[in-house]
Amino acid sequence: MIMRFGILAAALTVAFALPAHADKLDDIIASGKLRCAVTLDFPPMGSRDENNNPIGFDVDTCNDLAKALGVTAEIVETPFPDRIPALVSGRADIGVASTSNTLERAKTIGFSIPYFAFKDVVLTRKGLNLNTYDSLKGHAVGSTAGTFEALALEKDVKAWNASGGSFRGFQTQADVFLALSQGQIDATAVTSTVASSVVKSGKFPNLEITGDAPYLTDYVCLIALRQDQGVINYLNLFINHQVSTGRYKELYDKWVGNGTPPDLTVPGVYY
Amino acid sequence: MFSYTFHWRAAFQALPQMLAGAVVTLEIAVLSMIIGIVCGIFLALASGSHSKILRGAAAVWIETARNTPALLQIYMAYFGLGSLGIHINSFAALLAGIAFNNAGYLAETFRGGLRGVPETQARAARSLGMTAPQAFRIIVLPQMMRIVFYPLTNQMVWAVLMTSLGVIVGLDNDLTGVTQNLNVLTFRTFEFFTIAAGFYYVIAKIITLSARALGWRLFRY
Repeated sequence: MIMRFGILAAALTVAFALPAHADKLDDIIASGKLRCAVTLDFPPMGSRDENNNPIGFDVDTCNDLAKALGVTAEIVETPFPDRIPALVSGRADIGVASTSNTLERAKTIGFSIPYFAFKDVVLTRKGLNLNTYDSLKGHAVGSTAGTFEALALEKDVKAWNASGGSFRGFQTQADVFLALSQGQIDATAVTSTVASSVVKSGKFPNLEITGDAPYLTDYVCLIALRQDQGVINYLNLFINHQVSTGRYKELYDKWVGNGTPPDLTVPGVYY
Repeated sequence: MFSYTFHWRAAFQALPQMLAGAVVTLEIAVLSMIIGIVCGIFLALASGSHSKILRGAAAVWIETARNTPALLQIYMAYFGLGSLGIHINSFAALLAGIAFNNAGYLAETFRGGLRGVPETQARAARSLGMTAPQAFRIIVLPQMMRIVFYPLTNQMVWAVLMTSLGVIVGLDNDLTGVTQNLNVLTFRTFEFFTIAAGFYYVIAKIITLSARALGWRLFRY
């Protein structure tokens, strides 16, 4: 009898010890909470309303994902440079923060399939007559350091090598707009959604969008730790469903404006 | 739970870039100290002068520099002046901010140092026929420097560490700027920040050790 009890105890121990081998997806479901790292100074993807509550496309995406998983969503405000530390240190489970999927970054972090795509425009002060991208030659320009558009702009500034031309990388998008409206820089390349949102906000009445920046489409993805393959699989299917059910278009209309949301596929290649 | 694999080999390839950043950092720190020492001496003299205006101006500078964050002072030099239409570049804004901060702290250090030099010294110098500036430069200043030398090295180390605030005004070629750039490009946060911390430690250590050696050489009785 004692022997049997011993076996039972051993079996129970094994059964309870098993969740230690569960992957991150199990952990999220078991904890009942999905913690999303979201950047909240990047409207309309992420920002705060008058009551200081997080709102935006990314916030809604996180809520949808939590609903699909049957858990509650928790928004962890994370500035752009802190997205990876937030994941690695376990402060957040996934990142819903418009992360561009560069190959360099993919060595460190796991990307889902794209969940949104940006086009970049030239934002400048009224009256400077910088109407085309090429007219930025020889002007002081800047952008948010390390972003897709910042890398592209900095590369072009170096290639132009025009006198008077310079590039400045700022730590936040807000500082870029401040520097631009004050005249520290004459123009910036910025994602079209952010540009129209900041012009619409009326906070910087002297700024205007003058044209497209001729960059590749900036595909942005959800992120998770590289080894959390189970989570990434789920994220991929989630994005697939967001688009096929029309929720993607719904969120686009709500946050960006009525129209056709950007195509998330690259023609001629499998993801 | 720490789930992160370090990629040191790739990170070490960026060492030359970071070393160049460390040089810029040291450059800013040294320049800000030179400006800070000069301004600090004048502030210390002004705060001990008989003119109410000079005393008031020095008090405003010292109080602001010592009782507000350096981050704010640098931000103000860039975006604050910018809103008034005065545009200085990021390097100059950082330099101005740190020099302003240094001057405020050093003024108090110098004031204490001046107190430590007996007044009779200046009087004796004057009675030997020196003018007031001569007496100050030749007799008082060297003795004051002996007193404030070690606090001065402290401030120098502090200046080096303060240069890391340059990123907030878009400076991207100092040690922190370079590190931050590498970080956003590759997301290898822990490697690059660890290396940067190592650089700062070595710079600070070199400053304190060489100051000790220098002090030992200069200030022997």
